[in-house]
Amino acid sequence: MTTRPEFLERVQREMARAVGLAPVAASPRPADPAGVAAAVRAAARGRVEELFARFRTEAEEVGAVVHRAATETEAGEVVWRLAAERGIRRVVTWSRRGLGWVAAVAARLGDGGLEVAEGAPEEAAGPGREPLRGILAAADLGLTGADLAIAETGSLVLASGAGKGRAVSLLPPIHVAVFGPEALVPGLEEAALVLEAWHASGPRGANVVVVTGPSRTADIELTLTRGVHGPKEVHAVFVASPAAG
Amino acid sequence: MPPTAALMVTCLVDLLYPEVGVAVVRLLRRHGVAVRVPARQTCCGLPLFNSGYQREAARVARRTIPLFADAEHVIVPSGSCAWMVKAEYPHLFPDDPGATAAATALAGKTHELSQFLVRVLGVAGEAPAATPRLRVTYHDSCHLLRGLGESRAPRTLLGRAPGVELIELPGADECCGFGGSFSVRLPDVSGAILRRKLENVRATGADAVVACDAGCLLQLAGGAVRAGHRVRVLHLAEVLAGEGSRGRG
Amino acid sequence: MVGAEPAAPLAVRAREALGDRLLQEALSTATTRFVAARRTALGSLPDSERYRDRARRIKEATLQRLDQYLELLAENLERAGGVVHWARDAAEAREVVVGLARARGVRLVVKSKSMATEEIHLNEALEAAGIGAVETDLGEYIIQLAHERPSHIIVPAIHKTRAQIAALFSAEVGSVVPPDPELLTAVARRELREKFLRAEMGVSGVNFAVAETGTLVLVTNEGNGRLVTTLPRIHVAVMGIDKVVPTLADVVVLLQLLPRSATGQKLTTYTNFITGPRRAGEADGPDELHLVILDNGRAAQLGGPLRDALSCVRCGACLNVCPVYREIGGHAYGHTYPGPIGILLTAMLEGTPAVRDLAHASSLCGACLDACPVRIDIPRMLVGLRASLARERVAPWPERALFAAFGRLLRVPALFRAAGRAARLLQRPLLRAGGRPRRLPLFFRGWTAHRDLPVVARRSFTERWGRGELG
Repeated sequence: MTTRPEFLERVQREMARAVGLAPVAASPRPADPAGVAAAVRAAARGRVEELFARFRTEAEEVGAVVHRAATETEAGEVVWRLAAERGIRRVVTWSRRGLGWVAAVAARLGDGGLEVAEGAPEEAAGPGREPLRGILAAADLGLTGADLAIAETGSLVLASGAGKGRAVSLLPPIHVAVFGPEALVPGLEEAALVLEAWHASGPRGANVVVVTGPSRTADIELTLTRGVHGPKEVHAVFVASPAAG
Repeated sequence: MPPTAALMVTCLVDLLYPEVGVAVVRLLRRHGVAVRVPARQTCCGLPLFNSGYQREAARVARRTIPLFADAEHVIVPSGSCAWMVKAEYPHLFPDDPGATAAATALAGKTHELSQFLVRVLGVAGEAPAATPRLRVTYHDSCHLLRGLGESRAPRTLLGRAPGVELIELPGADECCGFGGSFSVRLPDVSGAILRRKLENVRATGADAVVACDAGCLLQLAGGAVRAGHRVRVLHLAEVLAGEGSRGRG
Repeated sequence: MVGAEPAAPLAVRAREALGDRLLQEALSTATTRFVAARRTALGSLPDSERYRDRARRIKEATLQRLDQYLELLAENLERAGGVVHWARDAAEAREVVVGLARARGVRLVVKSKSMATEEIHLNEALEAAGIGAVETDLGEYIIQLAHERPSHIIVPAIHKTRAQIAALFSAEVGSVVPPDPELLTAVARRELREKFLRAEMGVSGVNFAVAETGTLVLVTNEGNGRLVTTLPRIHVAVMGIDKVVPTLADVVVLLQLLPRSATGQKLTTYTNFITGPRRAGEADGPDELHLVILDNGRAAQLGGPLRDALSCVRCGACLNVCPVYREIGGHAYGHTYPGPIGILLTAMLEGTPAVRDLAHASSLCGACLDACPVRIDIPRMLVGLRASLARERVAPWPERALFAAFGRLLRVPALFRAAGRAARLLQRPLLRAGGRPRRLPLFFRGWTAHRDLPVVARRSFTERWGRGELG
């Protein structure tokens, strides 16, 4: 099997055969990713309504449903209503410990008679994987937060990590993401700056997914169908003034 | 001093469509350009170049270049040939700086016909007549459109030509399927592409389809006649010179 | 089937495709739609031409330091807990993946769409080792059931009707599935969901690999890409060396262009950034992440005329605008990668002689260059391939002799004029036959199959000018 030095040496030999090229420099990396990300967030804070309006337009364009709630309590009502309308019975969520509002919404759903389970309890790693899968595979709705909401494309950015399982937003046919004003960023460029800062600041989860609408395909005669493998419905619930935590 | 131009007539116009050459001369003279036609011209060499016979193309170019050395402007009634001279001639002689310099000089003063009229002479045309005698649609030849970046000049000229109504062609920027040797190496594919183009032309209801490249004329006319389409196939120069009452196809 | 020359010559394959009415309709609909969608999507990107320039610069900057970026990528991915394998060629790449699967007791592999794994014929190798390999991208799943190769980079089953797909699915599930896209999709979801949950290994491609962070970027719409890289305990990603990109900021430039160029979307449904296997505290995600970095003929292009083709982001835009692809579809090209860029990739991966016919499957119209988000000059490289074929004598000698004679004729005005006079004479019987003879030799037959012959003028332009007819 080819080793790294052998492989790279071959690449270098071939590169040396390229002559007469005008040098092209790569773009520079930000020197202070955390500072840049903080600046992005600060700038976004001053434009919340404008960014949300754009987010709503773009998200609806790609087939997501956007709801607005004034408080977490109201968000709980919104999610309860959409679950009841669809006859939802089983819900999986991101961890209540990490995200305070999840507890509020989960409580509301539980009060309404739904089964609510955490989709990513810490203990589920390793041997706990199988039962967890069962829960996730059987759930009708997955409830998560969103680490970022990109206005330009109507996208939700979900970073994985402790208590923030990937499958919660992936296996159930309906995905509901609840987020507040601090998640809004104008565009992809700004989101990448935040990703850069996340990367520099040390380990979180290994996965970041940018979700832009529900799962789709046009592979059969170019006819658009939704919910191929991922969720068929995506709901973005914006909580205008969330309580702290 | 009136502008002077040397006409690079191109092999296809010379042998197959001399009336296009005549129209070009009449058109240029009408706009006050003194025209001469250097003797011993044959071809720019593009068919050789596009098939990968670079050396042969360079030899043809080498003898073509001096024929136009004294010209102030070189006018070419074909987008593909003008492209060959402007874009490729300067790179055909990598080991010969003298030839490269001569080629570059020629490239700098060579113009496709519509580009010369609009961008060098500043011809703007007259307002179109109330009742057009000829309804035309325009097909963008690939080398003129993409090679030389020109889509406006022919439309400006046609849109403001007396007696002419210009109808926009759907898919005007799509290839006609000629591609030189491509038309005979993969004739069925070339024919299918042509059919699609002619269908678009027919759907406009135009009396004539106009192009700035003899290769396209060859392809379009050949297909139109075979398919029994009643549309005429004209070179831009023929329409502007007020000819083309006979046309081909 | 592995890298074999297609049985029938290109002209025959093309003719078959032209005669396939269903294929013709599918191609027409799809290409028209994608071309329009791309135009709209790029229109909504402010200053899209500048993005294309930046994208091109990013790709070229990468190639100029390719070894450094590959090394940086490997270091960062290993630091994040991934394992990097270096595969000189398709055989080595297959050996890595199959070997790993065997060592880990894998019985079922789920795959998300990857042209690289098609290129190395991975599925056949897994099957031969007794390991099941299921394509989960709906279009690829359909193709797999049909035992065919993909006919388009983005929509691999574009040539299949809903009725044909229903028949395939019905056979697979053992009961009748109606030819309704919603129902067919639901069947695929159900069938494949079970496999996602059962498979021990997921294999994916890589759209971009970010060197500075060791991140693999996957761009998908269906969700199978996420399932393949989340549920199984081992994730194997296969990428060509040309997929590495220096920074996250660079990848954003490419992400602004790739989905718009491919399907007219601003972003695909899922853009996944994967930096290593799952970390401590994560409840899901693979335990192991393996990246197979594949050369397979790419490095050899760095100093050669096809270098720019290494910039390809596999968007498929050139396929949709190509007048030839639009008429014949992907299968007629006869190799893994179809369309304009496919001809260059085939030359890269299988050698120039492999494209002795394909290099001429182009009218050199330039629509591909126009559409390419990274401005790859495909027509120029096609002409370069034609020149190689002529120079290396791969082109048949009668053709070379003909062009040499043609060249001479164009250099000697007396010969040129004589040829004109000869043509004038020879055409007389043909004109009497109404200009449409059926049995002409050589290239005339090709021309007259679909067109009438042009008429050589009685007096050429230069003759008329020489006689002073034009004053």
